[in-house]
Amino acid sequence: MRLLRLITLAIMILPSSGFEAHGQDSSISAEYLIKAGFIYNFANLVQWPTNAFAQLDSPIVIGILGEDPFGTVLDRVLAGKRVNGRAFLVKRLKSAVDLKECHILFVSSSEIAHLAEAIHFVKGMPILTIGEIPGFAKRGGIINLVLEDNKVHFEVNVEAAKEADLTISSRLLALARIVQDPGADGKKAQ
Amino acid sequence: MSLQNLSIRRKLILITMLTSSMALLLSSASFLIYDLVSFRHLLTQDLTTQAEIIGYNSAAAMAFKDEPAATATLSALMVKGDVVAAVLYSPDGKMFAEYFRNDKTLPAFVPSRSQEKGYRFEGRYLEVWHDVTLNGELLGTLFLQSDMRQWSTRAKRYASICFVFVLISGFFAFLVSSKLQKVISGPIMHLEDTMRTVSANKNYEVRAVKSYADEIGSLIDGFNTMLSDIQQRDTALRGANDELKTRTQELEEEISHRKQAQEDLLKAKDVAEEASRAKSTFLANMSHELRTPLNAIIGYSEMLEEEAQDSAALETVQDLQKIKSAGKHLLALINDVLDLSKIEAGKMSLHLETFEVSGMIEEVVTTLQPAIGKNSNTLRVRLADEVGTMRADITKVRQILFNLLSNACKFTDHGRFSVDVDQSTEAGLDWLRFRVTDTGIGISAKQKENLFQEFAQADTSIARKYGGTGLGLAITHRFVHLMKWRIGVESQLGGGSTFTVHVPAQATLERVGPIQAEGNSEAFDAMSQIKIGRDTILVIDDDAAVRELMSRFLGKLDFNVLTVASGEEGLRLAKQVRPVLITLDVVMPACDGWSVLSKLKADSELSKIPVIMVTIVDNEARGFALGASNYLIKPVDRERLAVLIEKHRITRFASITGTNAVPVSRLSHDPKHREVDAEATERFNVENLTSRR
Repeated sequence: MRLLRLITLAIMILPSSGFEAHGQDSSISAEYLIKAGFIYNFANLVQWPTNAFAQLDSPIVIGILGEDPFGTVLDRVLAGKRVNGRAFLVKRLKSAVDLKECHILFVSSSEIAHLAEAIHFVKGMPILTIGEIPGFAKRGGIINLVLEDNKVHFEVNVEAAKEADLTISSRLLALARIVQDPGADGKKAQ
Repeated sequence: MSLQNLSIRRKLILITMLTSSMALLLSSASFLIYDLVSFRHLLTQDLTTQAEIIGYNSAAAMAFKDEPAATATLSALMVKGDVVAAVLYSPDGKMFAEYFRNDKTLPAFVPSRSQEKGYRFEGRYLEVWHDVTLNGELLGTLFLQSDMRQWSTRAKRYASICFVFVLISGFFAFLVSSKLQKVISGPIMHLEDTMRTVSANKNYEVRAVKSYADEIGSLIDGFNTMLSDIQQRDTALRGANDELKTRTQELEEEISHRKQAQEDLLKAKDVAEEASRAKSTFLANMSHELRTPLNAIIGYSEMLEEEAQDSAALETVQDLQKIKSAGKHLLALINDVLDLSKIEAGKMSLHLETFEVSGMIEEVVTTLQPAIGKNSNTLRVRLADEVGTMRADITKVRQILFNLLSNACKFTDHGRFSVDVDQSTEAGLDWLRFRVTDTGIGISAKQKENLFQEFAQADTSIARKYGGTGLGLAITHRFVHLMKWRIGVESQLGGGSTFTVHVPAQATLERVGPIQAEGNSEAFDAMSQIKIGRDTILVIDDDAAVRELMSRFLGKLDFNVLTVASGEEGLRLAKQVRPVLITLDVVMPACDGWSVLSKLKADSELSKIPVIMVTIVDNEARGFALGASNYLIKPVDRERLAVLIEKHRITRFASITGTNAVPVSRLSHDPKHREVDAEATERFNVENLTSRR
């Protein structure tokens, strides 16, 4: 049992062993390996409303909007993992309709042009939006992954999370850079 | 000073303090231990909780590999004073984030993943291992190390508080017990003081004061009671002692008085004994001295009388008879005195021999014949058939009978005497009973009391009327008493008297018996007439008077008589002449009689000649021991000498002629025979046979 866990850990940690990429390809691959781990961690530290799932053991559906930067990495990282008894299901989205089925929506940097549309579309729905586009959080996304000094950081828009009826653990917030939607202030003021 | 010998006051204080301190220490220690144990438990829980919190808080940081965030979380422990190290390990065992209070390079700090979960105490450190998980997924391990500063500080503080507390309470315990111990030690000390006073001053009037009614109180009561008892006894003892002293003094005086009296008595006794001895010695000496001249007086008066009779000078004969009679009386008196003194001096000796009773009586009767006839009395002798021989000192028996019979003669006028002898058995012994009866004046009951006392005749007038020394019965009584024989008397005044003497038929030498010589007292009277030629008799004596008397006397008996004055001459003559008999004196100049006797008996040619000792020395035992045939003491009883010589002549005749049996005329009870015998003995004209041998 313990051995199994150790192996699992090794597999999990293996990608994180190299934060700094040596070659271009391997660098990209390493970055996404970390990002895949982050996504798993976010799933751990975010609480969805109960009605977001059909059943108690319904899987957490991760939708990738736009061009998939992970390749097989995300699938591999999440394979066999469970959070609160739920497995993961990764979907490459074709249409906007499929968005509704997601619990986590990864917005690829290829979708930078349709960003507002996508955010607007999922607004009010219990979907954790994760992006890697500068200003994603400020523009209404919930978590934005930022690469700084070859290190992955993340920004959290607490207001957006509240709107999406998601509870983000204070422990996650303690590590995050909190950003605010500039328009949100104005709305509140109104 | 050892603990046991401390004063009771110190002991009490010590005990109180020790007890209270012990209780206090024990309770404090248990409280301290309990507190420290529970506090440690609390610390452990605290640290575990902290580990949980930190683990929880650092889980996200671990998950996102956010090292600064994790370090920041650990740094929050800075507030907590006693955590010295906190380390987060990644699942692969690598250190992810750390926090050290002081020095990072602590050598003791080498944790590894293999260590157990939970807490443990390592030295003076408390270590906690805690898994960091996120939603059940293990992200790493948290290690916390505490130096338990709180605990040790607390322990130190508590210990010092306890110490101070014990000191203070000890001080108070000392104060309190010092005050309170007086309740117990006070009365005891008082008791001790009292006791010391009593024993030092011997003053038993002191009393201890009782303070409380506890055990010590009863002890003091007991002590006081004992003191009163001792006081009483002391007083009584002192009184008794005084009395004892007085009594002792009295006793001592009494004892010294008595001692004085005893010494006086002893002195008086010594004086008396000395006087008595002197008297006896004097009497004995005087008797001997008196007898030597008497010897000459009697002997010469007898010879003169015979010569006078031959020349028919009748008046001279009567005068000479008076001289002879007076001399013989004097001799009897002297002999009696001598006997008495010998008995008193304890010098009486015994010479046992077996003899015919009839012969012995015949001798006595013969001797007394003149006296019997003097007052016209008649004598009857009766011997019982069973009376034959007896074994005793013939001299003593003869003397007793002689005394009794002569007494009877003396006090009887125109009367009758009788001598009866019979035999009886008492207590396994044969006793001969001699009874001498007379019809004389008798003895009154009062006179009987003094009958056997010396010089005591029944009446002083008797001495004048009847004469006599008054010693006869006394000697008889003394002698009978000495031999444990018995003598008794029955008498009535005017009605005659009967004296009875019991003598054992076979006497033994129980008392001082000198060498016993077998006497042969075969009857010899009838043979006295046998004459066989003239034999020679040798007389050895240095006294010229004796030599002359002996030669005259023996010449009359048809002997040739040779006399010599010294022992040497006697021996020489004896060898030449070979006499049939020798008479020998003891006290002679140059060669004395004992040595002459020894030489005679040592000479084989002379040893068979019988030797008759004729001497003044009274030591017949020595004479018989040296071989003497007979022993006569001067003055010589001529009748006895004649009888002895006859005896030896008969023996010699028998041996010469070869006839064993010599006809012997036994003394019969026939009065006719007795008359013949009496006549025969009268021929020797010896009236007084006083047993001097």
